[in-house]
Amino acid sequence: MLVLSRRAGESIVLGDDITVTVLEVRGDVVRIGIDAPRSLKVHRAELLAQLEESNRQAASPSDDLVAQLSEALGRDRD
Amino acid sequence: MTESPAIEIPVIEMVRPMPGFPDHRRFALVQFDASSDLCSLTSLDEPDLRFLVVPPSAFFPDYAPEVGDDVVEDLGIGEAADVLVLVVLTPGASLEETTANLAAPVLVNPATRRAGQVVLDELGLPVAAPLLG
Repeated sequence: MLVLSRRAGESIVLGDDITVTVLEVRGDVVRIGIDAPRSLKVHRAELLAQLEESNRQAASPSDDLVAQLSEALGRDRD
Repeated sequence: MTESPAIEIPVIEMVRPMPGFPDHRRFALVQFDASSDLCSLTSLDEPDLRFLVVPPSAFFPDYAPEVGDDVVEDLGIGEAADVLVLVVLTPGASLEETTANLAAPVLVNPATRRAGQVVLDELGLPVAAPLLG
């Protein structure tokens, strides 16, 4: 991992069209600005981890559970 | 009671794969039966892998995810109204314990059959919202 020290207001440039700027440092919170093409997906790492975990939990429920849910939703709609 | 049209798309291409399942790109989207909007999203590469998805409107009437131009482009979206919005359910032992992922809806463009689980990072939406509120 490349490690750089930056102060508030300073930036780093990644490749040709991505600029990451440290906007503010207050206590243990760092605000970061990212200037990048819209096609570049930028996400908080912990949200992605949470979504992976959620998808794994959601994946392949048992037939019983599906039948139960399907019936409950049908009932719920009536 | 008016029946909503059955949802059945035999092959959709997940151009934005589901987090945790990056290699699963082709799915079938099929409504279980006419009694509810519940659909299965089943991997064509691994038939044992399936998710339960449902249009959120009946449960979260105010839910209206906004997506960027990059998503519009990836899915080949012409009219926003044509896009099928679905949320992934994590079934609990009962309906009360079932949750919906509002942070990353599955958007399907029936015209191009392209889909993606779109991560709505900036809005702080819940990953596990109780289905019944």
